[in-house]
Amino acid sequence: MTVGEPPSQPPGQPPGQPPRDPVEARLDFLRGRAMPVNHDARTISALAANPGCPRRALMDAAGVHKHEIAKHVGLPAPYGLSPFARSRGNAFEALVKDDSASLLLALLRQHIGLDIASAHYEDLSRVGAGESTNLRHARTRQKLLGADPGTHTMFDHPLLRLKVGGRYAFLEPDLLALHHSGRWYVVEVKSFAIIDGQADPEKVAAAAIQSAVYVHALRDLLGTDPSTGANLVHHETILVAPENFANKPAAAKLDVRKQLGVIRRQLNRIASVESLLDAYPEDLTFDLDPDPDGRPRRAPGELRGAVETVPANYAPECLATCELCFVCRDEARAHGDTGALGKKVREDLGGIETVPQALGLARGALAPAPEREEIAVKLRHAAQVWEQLTGQAV
Amino acid sequence: MSQLTSLARLLAVETGRAQPTKTVRHVHLSDRPLVLVAAQLAGEACAPLGALIGDDRARPRLLVVYEPRDRTQRFAWAAAVAETVLGYIDGYAKEVPDQDPDPEARPETGTPKPEPAADAPQLLVPNPQTAGFLRLLGRSTRFRSTTGEYAVPEAVPLLGRWLTYYSERTEVTPSALLLQLTAVLADHWASGQSATEDVLLGALVGWIDPPPGLTGPQAARVAEDPVRCPPAGPVTDPGWDNDVLEPMIAAVRAATASGDAAALARVQTAMDGALWSQLRPTWDLTWQGIDLLRELPEAAHVAARWLDDRKSFTSTVAWIRQGGAPQPRRDGAVSAARRLARLEREQQRLAVERAFDDPLVLAEYRLTGEAFAGRVTWRAPDRLDQSGSRAVPRPLITLATEDEVIMDEGTVLKSPVRPRQKAVLTEILPPESPGGTTFVTLELTSGMGRGRTPQPGSIPAFGEELTYTSLSDDFQPPAKFPAREDTPWTHGGPPQEYVPTDDDAREDWS
Amino acid sequence: MIGSVAETIEAIERRIDELRVAVREAVLAGDTALATAQRAQLSRAEQAWEAELAAIAEPPRSAQLTQRARPAQFIEPAQPAQLTLPAQPAAPAGSLLPLREQVYEALSLLQVPAAPKLIATVHEAFFGSTFPTTRVTSLKRDEERSFRAAPFARPYYICAALSADYLAPSRGLLAVSTWPLERRMIGSLSPRVDFLTAAIRVAEAIERIPEPPSAARQLLQRFAQSIPGAMPGASTAPATVKPATVKDAAAAELTVHTDADDRARREAAERARQLKQPEQLFGTASFREIAREAGE
Repeated sequence: MTVGEPPSQPPGQPPGQPPRDPVEARLDFLRGRAMPVNHDARTISALAANPGCPRRALMDAAGVHKHEIAKHVGLPAPYGLSPFARSRGNAFEALVKDDSASLLLALLRQHIGLDIASAHYEDLSRVGAGESTNLRHARTRQKLLGADPGTHTMFDHPLLRLKVGGRYAFLEPDLLALHHSGRWYVVEVKSFAIIDGQADPEKVAAAAIQSAVYVHALRDLLGTDPSTGANLVHHETILVAPENFANKPAAAKLDVRKQLGVIRRQLNRIASVESLLDAYPEDLTFDLDPDPDGRPRRAPGELRGAVETVPANYAPECLATCELCFVCRDEARAHGDTGALGKKVREDLGGIETVPQALGLARGALAPAPEREEIAVKLRHAAQVWEQLTGQAV
Repeated sequence: MSQLTSLARLLAVETGRAQPTKTVRHVHLSDRPLVLVAAQLAGEACAPLGALIGDDRARPRLLVVYEPRDRTQRFAWAAAVAETVLGYIDGYAKEVPDQDPDPEARPETGTPKPEPAADAPQLLVPNPQTAGFLRLLGRSTRFRSTTGEYAVPEAVPLLGRWLTYYSERTEVTPSALLLQLTAVLADHWASGQSATEDVLLGALVGWIDPPPGLTGPQAARVAEDPVRCPPAGPVTDPGWDNDVLEPMIAAVRAATASGDAAALARVQTAMDGALWSQLRPTWDLTWQGIDLLRELPEAAHVAARWLDDRKSFTSTVAWIRQGGAPQPRRDGAVSAARRLARLEREQQRLAVERAFDDPLVLAEYRLTGEAFAGRVTWRAPDRLDQSGSRAVPRPLITLATEDEVIMDEGTVLKSPVRPRQKAVLTEILPPESPGGTTFVTLELTSGMGRGRTPQPGSIPAFGEELTYTSLSDDFQPPAKFPAREDTPWTHGGPPQEYVPTDDDAREDWS
Repeated sequence: MIGSVAETIEAIERRIDELRVAVREAVLAGDTALATAQRAQLSRAEQAWEAELAAIAEPPRSAQLTQRARPAQFIEPAQPAQLTLPAQPAAPAGSLLPLREQVYEALSLLQVPAAPKLIATVHEAFFGSTFPTTRVTSLKRDEERSFRAAPFARPYYICAALSADYLAPSRGLLAVSTWPLERRMIGSLSPRVDFLTAAIRVAEAIERIPEPPSAARQLLQRFAQSIPGAMPGASTAPATVKPATVKDAAAAELTVHTDADDRARREAAERARQLKQPEQLFGTASFREIAREAGE
């Protein structure tokens, strides 16, 4: 049986077509034969969590299916949503939007001060089974750009588009609200509870950054007020969630200015994926070489080698946000990377990169570089104290 | 303040086993704690699915909610939990005698506090998420009414009040009444993984006490696989939800709708088995963790802190007996500020006590410059201060240390060996080269008994090895806060009295 | 393979646990063939378990079971509340009418296009029986098929409401074919206008009944929650919501919207009249129209 060879030329290039953008072609080759995974708000928000990771930046730009890679290498990360969480989420969203979004309208009237005449509702979801994503987006564009506060208020299931690293991401906020003053608000419906006015801070933070992605995309489309120069899309988003232990929806405002800054910076970094690509050989690919049944044939060890050609920036935070986390963690641990132990430990070690280095300095077995002398003294002292008190040699 | 712990993590990575970072156990561990392991339905705020509860590792009680969205079943489950938990608490509460107000009590001190109970009930959960679950369970049950249209079994609101008490106590003071095992274990051992990964009970226990034939990291890897080691909860593994739980709950609904009692009984039995399979491994791990903690000797100040917990428990028993109203939903501004100030004070006190109880903790302060260890190289034991009406002893000692001393002159220091004695730093002679010896001179100002002559042994001897620290556990008077009814308008004005309403009794718990 | 009758139920349970782990591992490893094979074995083991249990279990004397085949480690609490069937409310007598007639009854009360869930709730509240919403969603499709087979053979059809912009079937809404065309047009204010109108109809229906059932009161409360002024007072209990207050509040808000909404509906009806049947009843499926509008 032959080991799968990576494709020798960019796949999917129909003959007789004008040559595609070279960067896009390289990204396609990097991804291999698999269909690209599209960005959504969650993946874009996750990018903000670990901006300095070239491996992730490249894979996301190329639309690589990271979970498949991790699975084939033999280190899949457990991912998945419980069917109960999913159905609860769907049920709550359905409740909020029930009866022509009447509960949502009541909340919006209360929280953004809509006037009574502003009660319009447009459903921008898929018109029929055959409608393409691009068509649906075009429809959304047209409706939003032509919207007049006197005759438009709520837009349900709009489809926005954002270019991320050379690829379009389609984003679907839960609802957009147009205030009679002309200001737009992003509305996100989540099913975690607000109990006695407080909700799980991690979940709120995730909702904030996700809604900031939508604000960014909407601002990209709508821009600013020509007369005042102010942003047409408000920096406060509306979070709708169940109140206490019941299903009754409550709303809260989230100020996402900070998150908007982070996202803008991260998206700018990703835009420069071209310079990142230049660092790696042209024949680098993460293709799985699937057989006719779709089973990957590429040797896992070789695939792993390809993955490791692009350095990662593994930190324990990756465990919650990236499907490749166990692969990168394994690699980090094999190198004795102190970053795998967490930011605080790295700081305590004055930035020393590996466990053997740090222990060597602590034992006095390694001579420190000039800029490391201070931390080396501290580590030696710590080692001496440890030995004094535990009776064990470091 | 964690350099030693980080060093210990490096050693753990190298050896493949967690390293102890404490020489003693800094929390009280009951002979008979009540362990609670819980599972809840994903996606809901607090939808219990099942629990294993017990104070005997060999006899856990399994309580399952077969239809987690059914209000009646939920409250019946809560009543069964109440039976177990309140039964356990009552075992301790019945030792607290009823108190009649003492007619001779001084009016300004109010009702005298009852004698603290000899021991108090201790609840133990695997992780902070389970503690959060208990807090929400307390919140969702303590307002319920036992009469009227939305009546619940009587024990339920009482359970709510107790669970709220246990949850809230940890917000005002480092209490041992409710222990979260992962936090306590992580406090006493350094694994070779990150603090994020330590949150997984199976992984942490795997590093500390791996099964025979496996290294720490290998054991942790097994624990991360939800198929082999179900998560400690209360959130369940989504894969198990999908494969096992969802079909079972659907079968419960089908059997209920069709009225088939035999089918219902069969699927209930199956669900018992399924919950058992998910909860039992965490139950075992929790007791394994308890065993590991028991092997450590108890720190010196633990008993005093447990006494505070016992006193608090005793007052709570008295309050509940008097029909105490359930705790209000939100703090008034004054009580919130008061709680926070109290918590800060208590945490400072705890930090000092831990340092005094455990040389490894004190050693961390040596690395930050808040403590130093040295040997006495010179002393002037007979020195006196004659400036006042009476002569008082003011001996001087000088210590030689290799630690870095970055304290100011005039700093007041103490040593765990003579905790009542204050020593004022009068002079520092820095080393000639980095890493050399520093000479520190201290003036002893107390802890020598009364009179001109210091008590024998109260002055350190030549060559004695001592550690001195600027940490202090001196009593500080509590901050002054306005009375409740004087809450400033900037903080929302005086809070309203809590009056239970029908809405509370009826409040949805869907 | 002949089932091992001699295998104890505990052994079957152990085998089931092992097989479950095997299925999960096969799925996680992406080995679908193995997963299928293991699932089949698991299914056989579960059936064997059922059979074994049926063979050894006593037939229940009453719905109360206190002894169950359980591993010895469990402590046996007395949990009758979980072992009896929950008390069933007296099930309302099932309606004898076909589904389309029940939907017609509910829509005739509401007099506005409505979603299946609301239709089912209205029917339960005022006509004593309900139906699963899934049956209602497939009703529209069946009605269209019936119309195409024999146009106008029936006195009425349960049909679509049409979106004012593309005259496409408005998602999830049902209407009656004999209504004026304007009523079946959905402009941007129409969802709100129809909601308020439905609230008034429900309130009126409640006023006509001396002892309204709690389902009706709960429905009224659901409307009142999102109409300003419909629920004065702090309490949210269904019993305190007054039909007269809801009517007044809904009518007050309606005055703000009706002119604009009527205009939009009339204009849309003009265009809809140009459509042939069955499109006029069931909506267009034209994407050409959409594409042209969107400027693609």
